[in-house]
Amino acid sequence: MEVDSGTTVKLVSKEGDDFSVDIEVARMSELVKSMIEEDCDDEEVTEIPLPNVKAAVLRKVIEFCQHYQKEPMTEIEKPLKSAQMAEVVQKWYADFVAVEQVLLFELILAANYMDIKPLLDLTCATVASMIKGKTPEEIRKTFNIANDFTPEEEAQVREENKWCEEP
Amino acid sequence: MSTGGSHPVIQLEDGWNNVIRPGAIDVLERALDDGFDTSFEPREYIRIYTTCYDMCTQRSPYNWSRDLYNRHGETIQTYLINTVLPALQDRTGQGGTILLNELKHRWSNHQIMNKWLKKFFTYLDRYYVKHHSLPTLEMAGLQHFKTEIYQNCRENTTGAIISLIDAEREGEIIDKTLVKSIVELYESMGMGSLDAYTFDLETPLLEATRSYYGRKREDWIARDSTPDYLIKAEKALGEEKTRVMEYLNQSTEPKLRKVVEDEILQTVQMNLLEKEGSGCIVLLANDKTDDLQRMFHLFSRLENGLQPMANIVERFITTQGNACIEKRQAKLDSGEKDKNDDPEFVKSLIDLHDKYLGVIRETFSSHHLFQKALKNSFEEIVNNDVGQYSNAELMSTFCDRILKSGGEKLSEAEVEQSLDRIVQLFSFLTDKDLFAEIYRNQLAKRLLNQRSASDDAEKALIAKLKVQCGTQFTSKMEGMLNDLAVGSEQKNEFDQRLEQHGDTKLSFGVQVLTIGNWPSYKAPEVALPAQMSTCMEVFKEWHDAKHQKRRLTWVHSLGNATVRATYGKKFYDLQVTTLQAVVLAAFDNGQTFGFTELKDKLNLDDITLKPIMHSLSCGKQKVINKSPPGNKINSTDSFSPNAKFTCNMRKIRIPVASVESSHNKNRVEEDRSVAIEAAIVRIMKARKTLSHQQLVAEVLSQLAFFKPQPRVIKKRIEALIDREYLERSSENNQQYNYLA
Repeated sequence: MEVDSGTTVKLVSKEGDDFSVDIEVARMSELVKSMIEEDCDDEEVTEIPLPNVKAAVLRKVIEFCQHYQKEPMTEIEKPLKSAQMAEVVQKWYADFVAVEQVLLFELILAANYMDIKPLLDLTCATVASMIKGKTPEEIRKTFNIANDFTPEEEAQVREENKWCEEP
Repeated sequence: MSTGGSHPVIQLEDGWNNVIRPGAIDVLERALDDGFDTSFEPREYIRIYTTCYDMCTQRSPYNWSRDLYNRHGETIQTYLINTVLPALQDRTGQGGTILLNELKHRWSNHQIMNKWLKKFFTYLDRYYVKHHSLPTLEMAGLQHFKTEIYQNCRENTTGAIISLIDAEREGEIIDKTLVKSIVELYESMGMGSLDAYTFDLETPLLEATRSYYGRKREDWIARDSTPDYLIKAEKALGEEKTRVMEYLNQSTEPKLRKVVEDEILQTVQMNLLEKEGSGCIVLLANDKTDDLQRMFHLFSRLENGLQPMANIVERFITTQGNACIEKRQAKLDSGEKDKNDDPEFVKSLIDLHDKYLGVIRETFSSHHLFQKALKNSFEEIVNNDVGQYSNAELMSTFCDRILKSGGEKLSEAEVEQSLDRIVQLFSFLTDKDLFAEIYRNQLAKRLLNQRSASDDAEKALIAKLKVQCGTQFTSKMEGMLNDLAVGSEQKNEFDQRLEQHGDTKLSFGVQVLTIGNWPSYKAPEVALPAQMSTCMEVFKEWHDAKHQKRRLTWVHSLGNATVRATYGKKFYDLQVTTLQAVVLAAFDNGQTFGFTELKDKLNLDDITLKPIMHSLSCGKQKVINKSPPGNKINSTDSFSPNAKFTCNMRKIRIPVASVESSHNKNRVEEDRSVAIEAAIVRIMKARKTLSHQQLVAEVLSQLAFFKPQPRVIKKRIEALIDREYLERSSENNQQYNYLA
């Protein structure tokens, strides 16, 4: 793991694995940032437990944050102009989110929990790209969702959301 | 979204009672009450944050966002009502400082509490607050403080702040840091605007200030002299300014200043200015520079605040000037001879102007109102003529004294300075043309009699007049100097010519004057002795050859001559005028002449000849005998050379009494008529049709060197109608048309 000359913090995963991270990288998380602000006079390395984030996910999060320092992610245009992430964001980031669905969702949760806006934007955009241009049936298939609406319920939902189908 | 199934669902009361209340709220409240530093370990902090996060991200119906948001507010509210308010109520009535200190303490506690609760519940701010357009956690916390605490105690705290400020005004030392932090609380209570500060603190403070300084004013004005009062006022204004800088909001500064200025300056401005024994006039009369300067600076703060003071200054200077004039009047009344020369009087006006020019520059920062006051007062003083001679004449004569040789003995620098000052005084004259006419006469005398002390000084004064009044005003004076310069250049050339001619042994010089530049002189056509006329012929020939288009006329009344008279073995050089010399030449052969006989022989009239005969036969040096003897010349008298004449000196000057006045009043009148008519024609040519009123007004605005009475202008209009430059409009009697 790369460590800059600056001070570091230790991020501790749900399982108890700790990751030593450069403080500038860690501050991308608003949660971490709000804690470091309070403890700036502390000499020893601050240990920050993140009980909602698994080690595998945290590793991925840190990878994102570190890369972001070197190559900041471009703002993702909304609405998405393409269903291909490579056409929406730099290659590294498109490759970064080319992962299994389970991991992708865990990244979303971690980004939300740790309050890392660019990561949340990227992962949510990825999910949106998976929905883009698909019928409800295709979407159900993509995300493995059972249709548990009764026909009446489905009609009602369609009625309520009519606005989003209008051009 | 799924919670991943890794946590069991947290029930509201479980999360609140097991984690949030004991881990965060109780700890926080305890720390605040005990006065310890508040800080949470990362592990503790994350535990509470994560609990809140989980409770807000659980799926309905276990999503507790709304409940947590409400409980956040309630927590703050409860703490404020149960703990803070009673504490403040306890301190009320124990003195302002105690109450304010308690409020400061509680306010800073609230800020700590609000900060930490916001951190713990921050997930609410990110989605719940946004989606429901609610106040952010921070704003909600602030709002609770405003509602529960601020609204309840602001009257007491405002009163306490005002008491402290009043105490400080009375010289007590107060805790400014305390006041400043409470002022910051008022600023925060506006929720982003200054309204709370303005309405709840500033407005009552301004009212209190008004009444405080109202009392001070009554107290001071009853007891203090104007200078003492102003010193106090200046100090008070300075202190109020510092006060705002030290602990109030900066936006209060202009308002507070206005209130104080209103109360201690505006309300009593006239009382201060006119206060008996120490008002503005007394300060001026005693040259109280510092006090006047202070008065000036203080009143300059008020809108139009300087006008009354400038009016007083104007009246004062006018009075001083009138005193000079009264002094001159008294001198005349006491029987002193009225002369066109009163240097003492002119000097007194110059000194007066000089003094107040300095005062206005040094004390009143050359403010335009005061410059105008000086100008107005001097325009009144300078145009107030007493006695037979106008101030224009007295001023011109004053210049004459400076410029003629044997007058005032002044150094070059003093001459320059005196000229500067007299021209300043001149600039206030209305009758500038009258001055010019007299000045030109006196200049002519100086130049023709070789009595001018310095060519440079003459030029300097003319240059100064030119700056004031323009080229037109001084062109004749410059022409006069130029004639003389040309004359001295050509003198040598003519002397050589005269020598070559060889017909005469007389030493002879001519000064050519351009007509129109010079005053008009009498030119009697006297019968000259042959010797003299020969010289003139030579000059005329030489001059005509040189300047073919010019016509020479001879003004013998201005000439002078030296005549050698022989009495037995003794001879004397008599310094006389040309006309005296002509008369003396007639007696060359020892003949006796009757007055009439002499008159006819010389072709002179009575008015010219009588003073000449008087000078030769009745003066100190009687070179001619008069029969019968006496001190008056009659046309029946007869004259013969005085063979017994003796004198100790060999060179004798025989002066002739001058009958001419210093200037020709008719000439000024004529010039004025011409100037007025020219102006009328100029204006009418441009405007074609004008009413009488408009025309008179425009004529007055065009005339720079004098101010004619409207009836004089009317006369000129009528003269122009007679000469068909203008006509009265056929429809309107009060209107004129221009006739091309």
